[in-house]
Amino acid sequence: MDYEFLVDNIVQKISVDKKDNLFLVSDGDQEYNADIKCLSPGILSILIRDRSFQLFYARDGEKLHVYLDGQHLVVREPTADQTSFEGGEAKSKEDMLRVKAPMPGKVIKINVEEKEEVRKNQTLAIVEAMKMENEIKSSIEGIVKKIFVSTGDLVDSDKPLMELDFKT
Amino acid sequence: MFKKILIANRGEIAVRIIKACQEMGIASVAVYSEADRNSLHVITADEALCIGAPPAIESYLSVDSIIEAAKQSGAEAIHPGYGFLAENAEFARRCEEEKITFIGPNSKAMELVGDKVRSRQTMEKAGVPIIPGMKDIYKSIEDYEREAKKIGYPVMIKASAGGGGKGMRVVRDEGQLKAGLEAGMREAKSAFGNESVYLERYIEEPRHVEFQVVADNYGQAVHLFERECSIQRRHQKIIEESPSKALDPDLRFRMGETAKKVIQVSGYNNAGTVEFLLDKDKNYYFLEVNARLQVEHPVTELITGIDLVHQQIKIAAGEKLAINQNELKQNGHAIECRIYAEDPLNNFLPSAGKVLFLKEPRGPGIRHDCGIYAGSDVPIFYDPILAKLIVWAEDRDLACQRMINALGDYVVLGIQTSIDFLKDVIAHPAFQKGETTTHFIERYFAAWKGKEVTEEAQKLAALAAVFDTTNRTFIPSGASGQKEIYSPWLTLGKWRLGGR
Repeated sequence: MDYEFLVDNIVQKISVDKKDNLFLVSDGDQEYNADIKCLSPGILSILIRDRSFQLFYARDGEKLHVYLDGQHLVVREPTADQTSFEGGEAKSKEDMLRVKAPMPGKVIKINVEEKEEVRKNQTLAIVEAMKMENEIKSSIEGIVKKIFVSTGDLVDSDKPLMELDFKT
Repeated sequence: MFKKILIANRGEIAVRIIKACQEMGIASVAVYSEADRNSLHVITADEALCIGAPPAIESYLSVDSIIEAAKQSGAEAIHPGYGFLAENAEFARRCEEEKITFIGPNSKAMELVGDKVRSRQTMEKAGVPIIPGMKDIYKSIEDYEREAKKIGYPVMIKASAGGGGKGMRVVRDEGQLKAGLEAGMREAKSAFGNESVYLERYIEEPRHVEFQVVADNYGQAVHLFERECSIQRRHQKIIEESPSKALDPDLRFRMGETAKKVIQVSGYNNAGTVEFLLDKDKNYYFLEVNARLQVEHPVTELITGIDLVHQQIKIAAGEKLAINQNELKQNGHAIECRIYAEDPLNNFLPSAGKVLFLKEPRGPGIRHDCGIYAGSDVPIFYDPILAKLIVWAEDRDLACQRMINALGDYVVLGIQTSIDFLKDVIAHPAFQKGETTTHFIERYFAAWKGKEVTEEAQKLAALAAVFDTTNRTFIPSGASGQKEIYSPWLTLGKWRLGGR
């Protein structure tokens, strides 16, 4: 059976079939048998060509956190527009315009107003979490289109604080 | 001895103190905010009382709520841990008034050592070395030039209203002083709204070396040797060890005697720490007294064999110090790493969330003081310390290796932690050689990237995802279910991640 995942935002295609007690894996370049055992919840022992790997994983909604030998990886389901998206560090346009907090926290200060023009790297707001203040900066030169939060609000890291727009 | 103690703290330190109470046959009372109902300290304690809303100011910093909780539970003493109210003289005084024993120094000594200016004056009078610096703020450049000459170059310009490194700059000779002062004043003005600056001797290649002291209520004090805490980020310690490679027996003796003097001059009792800066020529300067049990106290416990929390409780209960300075020895080497919920790849930004998976390192010489469990929440409201990993070994080299292995054996999933970063710091050749100064992290780790993810790891991660996906329908049902863990493979339908 063929699978496709985004591993750290890079598409990984893998074909896996069960064969007796083993898994027959084909990852494009090569075919091999993998002996996979779940030792206890979240811990896998994988033997491939006599090499032994211990792998830890935990599911967080759509994300699977994986840890292996000092390396942290995040595996996700590929979405329609991402299947062709390989690697890529560049932020999408929407990401640049939507200002989010880097972590859940409390809005200490909002430094701008709606319709205000902002420079790149200008501080838009200050969010405090765990005794540390963080300045949220603009990634573009533009204007503040809409502000969704007020001072004192508790905010999540995945909800936007405000929305920017490019100057027209 | 007390029958019941309230612990006015949370996280790993509350758990550590609760365990000490249990060892001593003392009942423990935890207090918790609404965000901490499921926290480990609440689960571990004998009794637990909610003291308010999640923000610390409404719970762990609320003197009234904590005193009320102590009265309600009938606790005779309060252990404040570190942080929160631990060094709040007002709180210590309130406990004294309410006839509840505060496990820590008396409020008067705490007030003295908490006032940096007054404590340095007191220490200078007592002949304790302090960093040479200006006593007053001047107007004219000439006055600064005269003072700088008196102090001796290089000098550090510091903002009077300052903190956090803002407005600070180093001036190496008289020619640079004017420009440095002007820039420092501008920075101080914009950062603090107050342009006044003062000069202090700049300590080159400084090490942060502190001495643990324990004093009873009858004037007897011993020191339990040093801890070196030079490895810091954002002016906060992340790795501590004992003994320090920078000290020889003679220097250790002199610094230890100075530390005891500081404690005695302040009229201090219970456990405390005297902090020094040590320069590259082995001159040491008094910085301040930390009037509390410190985060890094386990390092001292492992090399001396003395339980500091037990000592604190006994002293607070009025017992005489039963330790002799001459009988104390440093045995082997101990290192502590603080495990924070933070992202070293993103400017050490705190990382709140849920701990989805936890594997604690185990083995000979490994101690793990931990405040989390698999499934626990890390709230946004408090300091992001999760746990402390401490190792002991016969010598420093072995302790380093043991720490590297233990960190490699330590897995936390769901939130970002400093584990991988700490492992690379300990493994760095300069750390191994003991060349630890307070500039270590900025010098060697400013551009730290972490271990690069290999192609092999990506493929194995994908394989794990296949395994997870195909086994998600499986629900363990007791021991017999364990055998069947792979059988749901047969039930595999069309694959969709996240599908229910």
